[in-house]
Amino acid sequence: MIKNIFQTEWLKLKNYKAFWLLLSVTAISYPGINSIAYYAYMDSIDEKAQSGKLVKMLIGNPFAFPDTFHTTAYLSSFFTFIPAIVVIMLITNEYMFKTHRQNIIEGWKKNTFIWGKVFGVVLITLIAVLFYVVVATVLGSVATKFFDSTNIFLGSKYILLFSLQVFCQLSIAFLLGLLIRKAFIAYGIYIFYTFILENILGGILRLKSKKWGHDFGHYLPFEISDRLIPLPPFIGKFNEAENKLAIAAVNNHIIYTIVLTVAVWVLSFYIFKKRDL
Amino acid sequence: MSVLEINNISKSYGRIKALSDVSFKVPQGSVFGILGPNGSGKTTMLSIILDVLQTDGGSYKWFGEEPSHLHRKKIGSLLETPNLYHYLTAVQNLRITNSISGRGSESQINEVLQKVNLHERKNSRFTTYSLGMKQRLAIAAALLGKPSVLVLDEPTNGLDPVGIAEIRDLIKSLAKDGHTIIMASHLLDEVEKVCDHVAILKRGKLIAYGNVENVLSDEDCYLLNAHKIDELKNVMRDFPGLLKIVDTSEGIECYFSKWDIMPVAINEFCFHHGIILSQLANKKKRLEEKFFELTND
Repeated sequence: MIKNIFQTEWLKLKNYKAFWLLLSVTAISYPGINSIAYYAYMDSIDEKAQSGKLVKMLIGNPFAFPDTFHTTAYLSSFFTFIPAIVVIMLITNEYMFKTHRQNIIEGWKKNTFIWGKVFGVVLITLIAVLFYVVVATVLGSVATKFFDSTNIFLGSKYILLFSLQVFCQLSIAFLLGLLIRKAFIAYGIYIFYTFILENILGGILRLKSKKWGHDFGHYLPFEISDRLIPLPPFIGKFNEAENKLAIAAVNNHIIYTIVLTVAVWVLSFYIFKKRDL
Repeated sequence: MSVLEINNISKSYGRIKALSDVSFKVPQGSVFGILGPNGSGKTTMLSIILDVLQTDGGSYKWFGEEPSHLHRKKIGSLLETPNLYHYLTAVQNLRITNSISGRGSESQINEVLQKVNLHERKNSRFTTYSLGMKQRLAIAAALLGKPSVLVLDEPTNGLDPVGIAEIRDLIKSLAKDGHTIIMASHLLDEVEKVCDHVAILKRGKLIAYGNVENVLSDEDCYLLNAHKIDELKNVMRDFPGLLKIVDTSEGIECYFSKWDIMPVAINEFCFHHGIILSQLANKKKRLEEKFFELTND
């Protein structure tokens, strides 16, 4: 049964040019943002200048092993909206072509259809994580002067954290697509919420945190998983106290993210089962 | 045995009652037409039996069993519009149908594409097809694996006259091979030509159902003509059991309760009253007439 679901979803995706095109954009964006940051760093530590030596002493080399996994995960996470667009496209296309109906008519259970989409979101997550691992490894290899094999994978826990973060955020994008059903409206809401509304809400809740004694902005849908990857040490140094708290809260946010992701999928299964197609 | 049994199905969209207590049975091997004007509930009915819509009340059974996804795998269906992946070719779309339903094989994909005259365009993307070609591909998907039951919603939509005739012949040949076909249409001529059973819906209510012959003929109508047409009319007014007389350009139509009268009795009656009939024909009512009679307010 699982093989059949994978096979069918693969038949839908493998010849879909827009799907591969958007994944290619993701493939470009990850090395793009990380390379820009890397070259900016290289410029700032120009050893001919006195300030370069100071910067190097202060922040070390965030792109060398093992920090490269943390730094590239943090920077790459800004581009999760591209695979999110792919995920929204996957579900809204089914509604646009009414193929979600056809899949049911031809003999799938409604749950089977959603399991197919779980497979799609997992596949896109794995591809995004693969791009990230390649970028982190390449930059790490370039930036590390003295290789220490025991040191190389010390930062690799960020591979798991990045995977969980991407899967959670793509799952929310999926739920949005399932609810809205119209591609462009879903894209608009996703972009508006992630880039504008959640930041505004986060800001308001941060201001209120003094009064309430707790910053509830940490529990906004995307912020929950954003906090899996705290600021890399070279940025975190500028607000060390807050960054320490963020690092200490990562384990809690792993649990929150897992709970949120499960809730998103339970809701997706429920909505698809109960809704007329 | 009934392939499909529908019991008191009701469905509402908000305050609009799309179906209200509809019940009928589809006999195995029949070509069953579901007729009704636009908005009468035909597509809603087919959507319910294919699990696309949920009922508000009532139930249905496929092959005498509670419906499940396993039954749907055995049914070839075309619902409303061709629902296929626009960016895939005909072959790629049919591979998905095969993967989900388990019906057909790679060689049968080519076979059904030949059957619907799409073989030459089998590697073109769906989005490049004309409306008629899209419809034919959707029919090919329904036919894949020779399912024992076909559910077709307006199967001739978008087809040219040649395409319509081809699909009609295809349905007839499938029925001949023992397939059960459930077909919704508002093309009465179409239904009359291919269906042996019919259910007529009006604003969500079942107003007639059964064998086409029985649904059509609740009255007997005879077309009569004679040289002295006015005398014929006067004579026939005294005929026992006559319901009504209607003037037509071909003569007069005389209506009787079904099975009440034999043509030989009419002929003898006229002859005894000095009228020699130049025409005496049993006039079968057409589905179109019956449909308008039933569905007009």
